[in-house]
Amino acid sequence: MRTRDTNKEELVKQKAIEMMVKLGIEGFGMNRLAKESGVSVATLYIYYTDKEDLIKKIGIEIGQNFFNEMVKDFSPTMSFKDGLRKQWENRARFVIKYPLNVACWELLSHSSYRDYIMKESLCDFKSIMTEFIKNSIDKKELMPISKEIFWSIAYGPLYSLLRFHNEGKSMAGTPFELTKEAAEEAFELVIKALTP
Amino acid sequence: MENLTENILVFATNIRTVTDKLTISAALDKNPAIEKWNIDQEDVDCVLRIISKTLSEEEIINIVENQNFKCASLE
Repeated sequence: MRTRDTNKEELVKQKAIEMMVKLGIEGFGMNRLAKESGVSVATLYIYYTDKEDLIKKIGIEIGQNFFNEMVKDFSPTMSFKDGLRKQWENRARFVIKYPLNVACWELLSHSSYRDYIMKESLCDFKSIMTEFIKNSIDKKELMPISKEIFWSIAYGPLYSLLRFHNEGKSMAGTPFELTKEAAEEAFELVIKALTP
Repeated sequence: MENLTENILVFATNIRTVTDKLTISAALDKNPAIEKWNIDQEDVDCVLRIISKTLSEEEIINIVENQNFKCASLE
């Protein structure tokens, strides 16, 4: 009789994320995943009904972890500047701590699994952020702009800098590390751009 | 996800095509002892996964082989 081993399951998840990032969604299969994780194919199918089930569950878990990190010490009633700064801190911490999970999330968010995974993992987060933006506009701390433009300006600079940081070099190929000072400098410019 | 892993049985089969799946669906769907089943046809082993509290591996292998498919317990 088979029992569930949580450590093994974690190992399988981690391996699956690694393989997805390295080989792409089409590139990896259940058999190979079982081999590389050191579990039998049968065990893998005890955990998951099929590859699709595995991908969905992993995607949702990454999304939920991301969500939990994003709302840490954050409230939609914060002032716009404090709230956005907290978002920058939380996002930067997650991206730096879990680069592989973030790469996997990126991959999934460009795949056919996107809608399902987003719906299952991020709907609470969406409503919190919508409330934050609405409050900020009402308090006249944020210009009334569309959410796409808001997102691009509010987080675009941060994600660019984080990409340089994770790659260890900038677009020019020079060494780069995202220091607190650099982040603060960029953050102030973003606030300047978004404040009425 | 099901917590009672002892009720999950997995098999390597040659149920490869859409038509194959239709054939086996008819046999599995009408069996009241099978709570849930699915086949991962993307996998080389076309893994058949069955949730049943009562059926044994042998009984499931018999059901599948009766439809002229190969079926072996996956270890």
